[in-house]
Amino acid sequence: MADTKICSDISGSIWKVLVNIGDKIEAEVPLVILESMKMEIPVVSSDPGVVVEIYVAVGDAVAEGDPILLIRE
Amino acid sequence: MTYRDMLDELEQRKAKALGMGGAEKLERRRAQGVLNARERIEKLLDPGSFLESGLYATSNRPEVKDRSPADGKIAGFGRIDDRPVALVSNDFTVLGASSSTINGKKIRHMREVAIRSGMPLIFLGESSGARMPDRMGAAGRAILGQDSTEYQRRRQSPWISALLGPCYGSSTWYSCMSDFVVMRKGALMAVASGRVTSMAINQPVDSETLGGWKLHAETTGLVDVIVDSDEAALLTIRRFLSYLPSHHAEAPPVHPVKEGASENAKRILEILPPDGAKVYDVRKIIEAISDPESVFELKARFGKSITTALARLDGRTVGVLANNPMFKGGAIDVDACAKATSFLVFCDSFNIPIVFLVDQPGFLIGLDGERRGAPAKIINWMNALSLVTVPKISVIMRKSYGQAYLNMGGGRNADEVVCWPTADLGFMAPEVGVNVMFGVKKEEDPERFQKLLEELTRDTSAWGLASLYETQAVIDPRETRECLISLLAVHRARHGSEVSQHYLSNWPTSY
Repeated sequence: MADTKICSDISGSIWKVLVNIGDKIEAEVPLVILESMKMEIPVVSSDPGVVVEIYVAVGDAVAEGDPILLIRE
Repeated sequence: MTYRDMLDELEQRKAKALGMGGAEKLERRRAQGVLNARERIEKLLDPGSFLESGLYATSNRPEVKDRSPADGKIAGFGRIDDRPVALVSNDFTVLGASSSTINGKKIRHMREVAIRSGMPLIFLGESSGARMPDRMGAAGRAILGQDSTEYQRRRQSPWISALLGPCYGSSTWYSCMSDFVVMRKGALMAVASGRVTSMAINQPVDSETLGGWKLHAETTGLVDVIVDSDEAALLTIRRFLSYLPSHHAEAPPVHPVKEGASENAKRILEILPPDGAKVYDVRKIIEAISDPESVFELKARFGKSITTALARLDGRTVGVLANNPMFKGGAIDVDACAKATSFLVFCDSFNIPIVFLVDQPGFLIGLDGERRGAPAKIINWMNALSLVTVPKISVIMRKSYGQAYLNMGGGRNADEVVCWPTADLGFMAPEVGVNVMFGVKKEEDPERFQKLLEELTRDTSAWGLASLYETQAVIDPRETRECLISLLAVHRARHGSEVSQHYLSNWPTSY
């Protein structure tokens, strides 16, 4: 079981968290929504898995590369 | 010696050569669910079409002559969808398919014939690197470098590589020279093996971290498609070739179009959110515009704010270079620049018209990009684009800001620019612009901010561009497919030829 850290690919602020710890997730489905450059930018996983950890809360500022979620494949 | 004896000897030698590295090693592979080098050839080519070259070649070193069938690299010609190809399939059961003097001669012959005859060259990679002790000492050095064109790519015909096991040395080099690379999960590609690297840097190295599929799919971008099995890799090669001409002097093949192929294009308005702040996955737009099931994405996990894909429009191959707002809001980073440039070079070399689908807020600016030479990557892309001589059509879907307006085909950088009514042609995100140009922040002076914002967003519409004849058409997004088919028909036949000038054909195969 490989754990993959899903990191923000852009700086912005956390607008919505759409999943909870333990949720089963599909690939390429929005998990968290960032607000950046006046756009709502989804954070997605390239692979399906289960949410193990959530490192952010609504309103947090994140920089590019900051961890958002931990996914177990 | 009678004819009978001679023919018996031929049969015996043939059986020995076809026995590869021996039953035990072949069985071990079978148990692992991995195809051997000859099974791979059988599965890749049209049935019964393989014509081997060098079945009786062996190592020239007396001590291994007897146990080096085909010298570890099986070469020959065959057909894929009835079109000729040349190939080299590495036989890992014979001395780890290591590179030697004799199998080097086989590769050279395949390369020369593929270039001269105009057919794709395919490498089925799995190799342990240079053969020892062949390469040791001055004598070992002296067998290298005898062909100054060994690492020369002029893209006279497509080169394809599959990474199907541990790949070090030649399999790695040929992959990096290829136009298309498919990798099976579990295969590895690196300069040297984890063991060698670990000794050289005196610390433990995990092979998967050193050269596994995730590294090449997501970080280096050296691999175009990742698959789960050997069989899938071989099917992927066949599929890739279906979009390409056999060589640079012919047009890509035309495929039949299913009835109702235009139906999906009507769905575009369901995919494109009316609210400009909402993003969407541009791959759905590409699917909607293209012939059904014809979209073949390249480097899907690398530089994701740009999507590159081969597809067909009315049965004919196009290269689609699209911004994907789903990732980084479509802001173009350094990886995405490299991906775009290599795609332009590839399409131009093989007479594939390019369609730009534009929705981007500009290049992603920041410290990381500058450290990685972002300005040079941006201009490298522009230089390539200005040398492209295949037809280029740019469709501005929504945003097209900043310098990237030009990189995505704006102005005379495409043969035709088409806008959707949703197009937005600002210099930069207007909220940022008010701050940068006038030093006014929204929270400090909301009234003035709003006034300046209105000023900056005036005349940024498709209509503004259309009245200046900088876009040649403004269309209903649902008409995009038909519009592209018609425009490509206008621009494709240049003086009766669909062959481009290939000014980019000797550009690097990676950046």
